[in-house]
Amino acid sequence: MKFAYYPGCSARSTCAELNDATHLVASKLGLDLVQLEMATCTGARELRAIDPAGFYALNVRILALAESHGLPLMTICNTCTLNVLDAHAAFVSDPELAASVNARLAEENLHYSGRTKISHFLWVLHEDIGKQRLREQVVNPLSGLTVAAFYGCHITRPPGRYGFVDSRNNRALELLAEILGCLPIEYSGRTECCGFHTAAHDERVAIKMTGQHVLAAKAGGATAMVTPCPLCHTVLDSFQPEMEKDIDQKLDMPVLHLPQLVGLALGLSPEQLKIDRHMVPAGVLDSYAATAPTGLK
Amino acid sequence: MTLVSPGDAPVPVPPSVDGRRLGQAEQHDALAARNSRLIPGELLTIKIRRSEVPAGGDIYQEFQVPYQKWMRVLDALNWIAENAAADLAFRWFCGSKMCGTCAVRMNGREVLACWEAVEPSMVIEPLRNLPVIRDLVVDRTRYEDKVASLEPWIERHEPYAQFPEPLTHKQMKDASKALDCISCMCCYSACPVIGLGNLTDFAGPAPLVQLGQTALDPRNSPGKVRRSLELTGIFNCVSCYKCEEVCPASIPIVSRIIEPLKAKAAQLVPEMAKHSFALRDIVAGRGRVDPGELVLRVQGLRALGNLRRILRLFARGKINPMKTLLGTKTGAAEAAGRLLGNRVGKQ
Repeated sequence: MKFAYYPGCSARSTCAELNDATHLVASKLGLDLVQLEMATCTGARELRAIDPAGFYALNVRILALAESHGLPLMTICNTCTLNVLDAHAAFVSDPELAASVNARLAEENLHYSGRTKISHFLWVLHEDIGKQRLREQVVNPLSGLTVAAFYGCHITRPPGRYGFVDSRNNRALELLAEILGCLPIEYSGRTECCGFHTAAHDERVAIKMTGQHVLAAKAGGATAMVTPCPLCHTVLDSFQPEMEKDIDQKLDMPVLHLPQLVGLALGLSPEQLKIDRHMVPAGVLDSYAATAPTGLK
Repeated sequence: MTLVSPGDAPVPVPPSVDGRRLGQAEQHDALAARNSRLIPGELLTIKIRRSEVPAGGDIYQEFQVPYQKWMRVLDALNWIAENAAADLAFRWFCGSKMCGTCAVRMNGREVLACWEAVEPSMVIEPLRNLPVIRDLVVDRTRYEDKVASLEPWIERHEPYAQFPEPLTHKQMKDASKALDCISCMCCYSACPVIGLGNLTDFAGPAPLVQLGQTALDPRNSPGKVRRSLELTGIFNCVSCYKCEEVCPASIPIVSRIIEPLKAKAAQLVPEMAKHSFALRDIVAGRGRVDPGELVLRVQGLRALGNLRRILRLFARGKINPMKTLLGTKTGAAEAAGRLLGNRVGKQ
């Protein structure tokens, strides 16, 4: 199975470990990833508000790059996923917009026809790898590891569009955790927001909001949290000392990127998956890691 | 299965397993699925959060209510008021999703009591983020005052171009979505930023929808719209889409109201959108976001006040000051520069 792979900005900077873990896990699962090196940022939430034309140009270009390889697109960031989904929807519903974007892309011999399939790594695991094959690949079941799934916003909402259901009914992360041998916990923060998108100018919102979610995960008995989004990870992990200060309570909650959790169950070591690059130490996970690391170290 | 995007355009048919829908069936995420779980006469267990008078503090009072076919939350509340607790306070008027007065939280979700099917076991609470008057009745003054302060009307100082005035559907597409609002306060209760109290000056989704009705109308005077937008704190919206999820009128609040209002703010009050322009300039110059540069440009020297975090991030290799200072470009810089230009404030 081959995908055009779009890591986004975060997985190439603050969360570089996510990119590394994705490549390792993909090769274990037999996914062939063609990384789109020449792809730009999707514009986060900022560009779409202040410069819609620029937003559509950048995102349609990413879809066109995937199309030039003749491959479906795989993302690993929630916000990037929604941006390309939104741009694709606008492109196919507005012929004028489509023509003007394609005219701008023609300068570098790119063209989008509107046919690139967009999928997030979480959906690829369920849809393209599948429960059965995943089970077969689990050599190190993470038996008894209690995890709190933190979905974030942009692969579960807006409701009613792109096949999204009521976000609060999502089970994709919990079902995946079960396949890996974990015990997913129930808690109030599952499909809540991390506040990343206002953190650049006022991080108090992210700290206050997400502190409550981490606290709820801890109260619910989670040993670790897992998220499919590097932006959520940045808040959950990097801002945790500030959250602890804000609520005057220790949290010590390790936060894993989705491919890191999968990787542990596939027998990769925490070092290979660069879990030590996180702010919150994840030593507690060592006892769940495979005793003899296998793979590409 | 066919998916429908905003323009009713076809998108690729998903494969047999759809990662986006996993959980939908188990969670009975459809009216028919919910109704099929109950048979007429079966007892529903309903816990209602009641303001305890006079002792103070809230209590959850439990009721058993016999299910009737197609029973709504409002029917259950009316049954309780008639048969078990005549003093239960709740608001409703039209019973048909028009007046917006009967919103409550059912099992942690904001719903219109008149439009929501009952569940076998329900916890019913008043809306959040507004003071409770009694039981399920909340005080809407905070919202009404905010809306009034935004002066949500149209002001025109120039004479009309002609009569009748040319106005297209396209020009009114966002404002007309905002006109679907029934002011039920579901979104206001679901908004996590409003949930933080007065931490920010964010007006909240419901007042912004009210403002959108006139501020997104092309006939409104830019000076008037600017005055209103300055009072909204709109860039504190975290774009979580929680408001859209609970809106009984299915208004795309983020994409059709808040984002167009942000675009207006960027045009009319550019200093409000400083961080958005900074992000665009960084992407236009480098191709991708450099988090260090973004924080430095948005926060200025204030960013350096957080030295402990900077050192922490540096120690784990999460930030690279050399890259930030040298303005390292990625392979995507050329395309980004061409597609975005580097003119600040470009629309």
